[in-house]
Amino acid sequence: MLRFATPLFFLLVGIVSLIATLNLPKATIGNANGPLYFPLLISIILIVSSIVYFFQEWKLRGIEFKDFKLLKEGKAPRYLILSLIMMLIYTFLFERIGFLYSTIIFLGGLMFLLNGWKKWLLNISIAVIFSFITWYSFAVLLQVSLP
Amino acid sequence: MGLDTEFIVEGFKVAMQPHNLFWIALGGFLGTVVGMLPGLGPATAIALLIPITFGMDPTSALILMASIYYGAMYGGSRSSILLNTPGDGSAIAATFDGYPMAQKGQAGQALAISAIASLIGGLIAVVGFILLAKPLASFAIRFGPAEYFLLMIFTLSAIVALAQGAMVKGFIAMAVGLLISTVGIDLQTGVYRFTGGNPNLAEGIDFLVVIIGIYAVGEVLYNYLTIDRPLGEKKSVGKKWITKEQWNRTKWPMLRNGPIGFFVGVLPGAGGAIASMLSYSFEKQLSKKPEEFGEGAIEGLAAPESSNNAASVGAFIPMLSLGIPGSGTTAVILGAIVMLGLKPGPLLFENHPDMVWTFINSMFIGNIFLVILNIALVGMLVKVLDTPPKVLYPLILLLAFIGTFTLNYNMTDFFLLIIFGLLGLVMKLLRFPVAPLILAVIVGSEMEQNFRMSIVKNDSFLGIITESPITITLAIMTVLSLGYPLLTNWLRNRKLEKNIDRQQ
Repeated sequence: MLRFATPLFFLLVGIVSLIATLNLPKATIGNANGPLYFPLLISIILIVSSIVYFFQEWKLRGIEFKDFKLLKEGKAPRYLILSLIMMLIYTFLFERIGFLYSTIIFLGGLMFLLNGWKKWLLNISIAVIFSFITWYSFAVLLQVSLP
Repeated sequence: MGLDTEFIVEGFKVAMQPHNLFWIALGGFLGTVVGMLPGLGPATAIALLIPITFGMDPTSALILMASIYYGAMYGGSRSSILLNTPGDGSAIAATFDGYPMAQKGQAGQALAISAIASLIGGLIAVVGFILLAKPLASFAIRFGPAEYFLLMIFTLSAIVALAQGAMVKGFIAMAVGLLISTVGIDLQTGVYRFTGGNPNLAEGIDFLVVIIGIYAVGEVLYNYLTIDRPLGEKKSVGKKWITKEQWNRTKWPMLRNGPIGFFVGVLPGAGGAIASMLSYSFEKQLSKKPEEFGEGAIEGLAAPESSNNAASVGAFIPMLSLGIPGSGTTAVILGAIVMLGLKPGPLLFENHPDMVWTFINSMFIGNIFLVILNIALVGMLVKVLDTPPKVLYPLILLLAFIGTFTLNYNMTDFFLLIIFGLLGLVMKLLRFPVAPLILAVIVGSEMEQNFRMSIVKNDSFLGIITESPITITLAIMTVLSLGYPLLTNWLRNRKLEKNIDRQQ
């Protein structure tokens, strides 16, 4: 059930971090266990809180779980998944084809996704103009070295 | 702050220098605009504009970010009043009476009173800042590692406790934040922790990536889900200035709620949202006509507006005088100014009084600038609300990516940005509080160092707590801050059960 997915996920994160903490190499300088204490304490807090969270959700098990409902409404899943894919493509292209071209593709892609194909001229103009403005502001005005 | 008249005058002169006036104006304007856009608040605005501050001197950067912060406070209420859509938590109370006023054709007057109330609240809080910040800093000078460790625990627990009925979620958010802060080389021993063999993670996860991911990418992804929904109908502005009668009705509410907002702002975890709600209900209780509240009572708008702006000024006190932010937004600002090499804390007031005074004076100037901007340019600002979100959100995503790239010129950060964006989205959907995570990421590393230093000195956890009267007080405050919501919850449940029993 979706309701229990989050508490179980954080419980898993807590357990993994606990195991990873216990397997940390011993320090050769100072207290050998020094690097362990703090993450150990946090892992325990995370595990305990996740268990409490699980039982809180358990009490509500008869009630419909609506938190993720928005994700399924209308075009939301399409917007979300495609923009995530575009972000990954942007990450992949950024250093390979350079800032300006990758940004025009990224911004254009997002504009077509949200604004539809009918407004193609507006989408393309915004993608090109804003990519150029950001490139100019960062590379020329702020002197950030962009690929 | 004693009579540092020399510094006051000097600070005023520096704040009045053209470049600082420019940053005040730019920050105030950008803050107002971003704050007005539905769904975007001050933390997002600052997170996105962090790259602009690189290369700036820390004082100007602080001035810029602070003016974005209170500018967003002014702006946040614009969309509350005109569209019934608050930009963030602190602007919610402005919808209660602001929107009904707009529906009655008094939008212009509602906007004017909200700007005037914000100015009065802001100015009262600046005076409060002058009176409180330096004594607090002088007191904090005697803090050692144990005191700092417990102060951080207290701040985190106060933020968790105030996570509006979601304390367990707050604890989880905090723990995740602290875990993120442990990634990378351990500063004391050189041991690599949780890097998974990725050399790019050796220096840890940059907290600014976490901030931009959660506040900017997460917010945009969340807004995608409702992007096709029509916004509330925007009413025409109407008369732009208040009447004498309206002024008489609101002057006391504005004056008495400024100090309330200020003190709430100083407390860790509270901030604008709680301050404005508190002021709203306080004013309703005082009113002779409480039935008018919610129907467009001008006091019901003036009180929370004065209070939330005062809270945003008050929130700077713990950040600057203790080096520990009490809210998500001040945590973001702290993160950014630490990057520029400035270390806020008790010594800041000793070593850089000029900077502190410039900052204080800039808040005076900024608040006055904003009220002029918000009243004179009301027509133009209202047009900002017509910006189609479908054009805006892609641009915000782009700024988030460029901002992240400029931090370390490292592509691993892009992946982290996407991951934290998704985390921000899921947290928002599940109503997890974000502030505990952000604060934990920022103070985590220092908290660990203080913890380890004090454990060496005291041998045990109990030893840390009992090291000094200050540590004992902080420990008691921590227990109280966590215990109080539990106690009130328990009492409320008991009362409910009794009522149910009685009905049966």
